[in-house]
Amino acid sequence: MPENLKRNDGLPPAMTRLVKELSRLPGIGEKTASRLAFNLLNRPRQEVIALAEALLEMKERVGLCAECFGLSDRPRCAICEDAAREHDLICVVEGPADLMAIERARSFNGVYHVLHGAIAPLDGIGPDDIKVSELIARVSGPAPVREVIIATNATVEGETTALYLAKVLKPTEVKITRLARGLPAGGDLEYSDAATLSSALNGRREL
Amino acid sequence: MLRARDYAEADRIVTLLTRDFGKLSGIAKGAKASRKRFERKLEPLSCVTLFFRRRPHGQLVFITRAEPGETLHPPLDDELTKLALGAYMVELADALMREEGEAARAFRVLEDALAAAGQGPPTLALRQAYELQMMEATGYGLDFARCRLCGNRVETLTGALYFVVARGGIVCGRCRPEAPEGAVRLEGQSALVLAHLAVTPLELIASATAAGRDGAAALNRFLMTILDRRLRSADFLDGVL
Ligand SMILES: [Zn+2]
Ligand SMILES: [Zn+2]
Repeated sequence: MPENLKRNDGLPPAMTRLVKELSRLPGIGEKTASRLAFNLLNRPRQEVIALAEALLEMKERVGLCAECFGLSDRPRCAICEDAAREHDLICVVEGPADLMAIERARSFNGVYHVLHGAIAPLDGIGPDDIKVSELIARVSGPAPVREVIIATNATVEGETTALYLAKVLKPTEVKITRLARGLPAGGDLEYSDAATLSSALNGRREL
Repeated sequence: MLRARDYAEADRIVTLLTRDFGKLSGIAKGAKASRKRFERKLEPLSCVTLFFRRRPHGQLVFITRAEPGETLHPPLDDELTKLALGAYMVELADALMREEGEAARAFRVLEDALAAAGQGPPTLALRQAYELQMMEATGYGLDFARCRLCGNRVETLTGALYFVVARGGIVCGRCRPEAPEGAVRLEGQSALVLAHLAVTPLELIASATAAGRDGAAALNRFLMTILDRRLRSADFLDGVL
């Protein structure tokens, strides 16, 4: 088919490009992407520049905390830098969104370890694909650790990860606990409300 | 339930082995949001009763609701080895089954195997018995009880045996020259154990002995030949079992 007879969506190429980029985002279909693009088109220039700059700055500056692997724009994140937190109490989560959910619940004063995934044998994701060895090194390192709370999701992958961590951390003789089963079964931590999370934390049991 | 993954914001795409409709893939709209219609049920390793309708086009059925299955196996999530074995069991069933084939027997084997794994202990013997019986249920039955060529029973044979993939079973030392294809050398004892595991009901496997390295190698060689790949969950299982 000649170039000029190709399906025309009626948009200038610059709009089409933006719609295409936006619809790559999770949960955004082409319809939503078009709506967002039109919305951006009608905004003041300054606002659009601010958004573009925010995107770039985020990508350039945010990396992982060297200690807990949470998101941070410095070598160590604000939580790991905070002397008022209990550094011998480590809460292990699957991803940054779970860390944020627990922080929102405001009932945990320890520090975190972000695994960046969960062990999923059916997807071929093993312990080496997530930050497990880093956790072992941290728990058996020189800094004292009183307790490791495993706060992975209440899914098959989350349970597999929890049991695996309990197994490999056993030789360290550190107390290992798991969130109570108050969480909606099969549900993700990040979708749990603050009250549920607090009671799951308080009711944690030893593995 | 064999496989499940999130799709878009709120949906889940799942693959199941069903008793009445063989292997099915479907989409559950709003599964992540509607705990009332789906709850935890759309997860691998779970056993559910499913309500679905076929769509005129497209391969995915439309899943409207899921309820706990009639026969609930004990949960596997109290032990790492149970979860690892369970994952391997569903992946093997998934790999051996074709979509929409007759599957009542495979369904029963998987159901019994998950029940046995949940009951525990999750042993190597259970893994091998499941491999043998699931292969049998999907048309890949293997014969370890007698030589495929002369028909003599293993008990009466002396010396090494050879598991020959292309023959679907073992060949004795005397017949080996007539079946010179690549083979796995097998002790007579291992062949006897595998023959026994292939026919023992899965709920009675817990106390059975597993075949040694040579038996495991034979099963592995055969699976690699028919599947043409290693199962993703096999490495993790080998690490914990
Ligand atoms: Zn940190
Ligand atoms: Zn023979």
